[in-house]
Amino acid sequence: MEWFAHKWDIIDQLTPFLLQGLWTTFKISIVAIFFGSMLGFILGVLKTLQIYPLEKLINTYLHLLRGSPYLVQLYIVYFVFPSFNISWLNFDSFTAAVVSLSLYTSSYVTEIVASAIFAVPTGQSEASRSVGMTKAQAYRYVILPQALKMTIPPMASVYVIVIKSTAVLSVIGIAELTRQGEVAIMRMPGDIMFIYSLIAIFYFFYCFPVLRFSKWAETRFGSIGIDLK
Amino acid sequence: MGWLQSVFNFRIVSQYWEVFAQGIVNTILISAVCLILSLSLGILVALGRRSSNPLIWRPLAVYIQAIRSTPLLIQIYLIYYGLPALLPFGNFLNETQTGIIALTIHTTPYMGEIIRAGLESVHRGQIEGALSVGMTPRQTMTNVVLPQAIANVVPPLLGQTAVLIKDTSLLSIIAVFELMGAGLRMFSETVIATESYVTTAVCYLAIYAMMLGLSGLVQRKLGGSAWQEN
Repeated sequence: MEWFAHKWDIIDQLTPFLLQGLWTTFKISIVAIFFGSMLGFILGVLKTLQIYPLEKLINTYLHLLRGSPYLVQLYIVYFVFPSFNISWLNFDSFTAAVVSLSLYTSSYVTEIVASAIFAVPTGQSEASRSVGMTKAQAYRYVILPQALKMTIPPMASVYVIVIKSTAVLSVIGIAELTRQGEVAIMRMPGDIMFIYSLIAIFYFFYCFPVLRFSKWAETRFGSIGIDLK
Repeated sequence: MGWLQSVFNFRIVSQYWEVFAQGIVNTILISAVCLILSLSLGILVALGRRSSNPLIWRPLAVYIQAIRSTPLLIQIYLIYYGLPALLPFGNFLNETQTGIIALTIHTTPYMGEIIRAGLESVHRGQIEGALSVGMTPRQTMTNVVLPQAIANVVPPLLGQTAVLIKDTSLLSIIAVFELMGAGLRMFSETVIATESYVTTAVCYLAIYAMMLGLSGLVQRKLGGSAWQEN
């Protein structure tokens, strides 16, 4: 009973502190998914235009981001960019977190948008061209509306990936959920396991509904068979 | 060449080539061990997940969802601080072994889900056909289902392996010496960020390029329907 009271005491003390961290996690992940989706959408559409040098360039960009761990990308944005001596690349830690996470997100979104556009049957674009639409009009009125609907389920999975990646930001001292937990552990070093389990539960209640939504959306909007890692 | 030296100092990098080579070797070794372990456990998870006994599949479903909904970093911390307390004879594991256990626990559900999707991709008629010609369920599995499932499963497995290799970088946080650890060591000794971290990134990209080459090779050898979209 005493054990239980002690643990309840910890939960009672730490919850506001951890919720603060969860709020930062939420903010960063929302901003990153927003900018990452914008960039990813543009790159994804450009990729489907199949203009030779541009496509190669985008593929190289994707390989660079998919081939290296997010931790390394974060260190490069946070430590290497400032050494270029360009004033606006001198990020503070929050900006570095958002920039690196947005770039990382964009690599996923680009592939999703591109494969969704490719998944729209070619007859759709041929038909719109044959009724006299320009290529831009065909994209705007026929292809993109159908393609974007198909991106909803994988985008939810990407959002979970983004949330989980924010845990890594604790290494550059962003006060998000994991970092707040580490600070709490410095105050109560006897309860490491309990506090980490508490953080895990917080993450779980944040991510699990989004994963369920993704699964539901797949039955609702259909799957484009893209496999997210 | 003076300007190039000021942008990227190759001389300092060349002084650290042994550290990075050791890092690459460790990263590949850790990934290989985790791959073998998580693949074998993943097969068990996939089979258990298909079981009709709720005492088997329900706990596995909880395990899979718990891993997928929490960050790897938290899982590593939980294993790193929690595992020693569970061991009967004190902590006889070093960081690398703890890291391998954490990564295996993290990767197994992903592998399991890939294998399960592969098993489900085999047409029902194949199983019925095999059973009706008198094969035992075991024979059906080894001679009919698995050979077809493997062809469908290899491409996503290679993708997951690439993720596994990248995930090993997080082990540097619990002081495992691998590629990221090599970069961190160079940075802490020389305090030059560009050379340390760009070299680390280039090494990871080299491993990734090797993986891409390997998957091209497998693709030509194996075929299978799952390759078509790329």
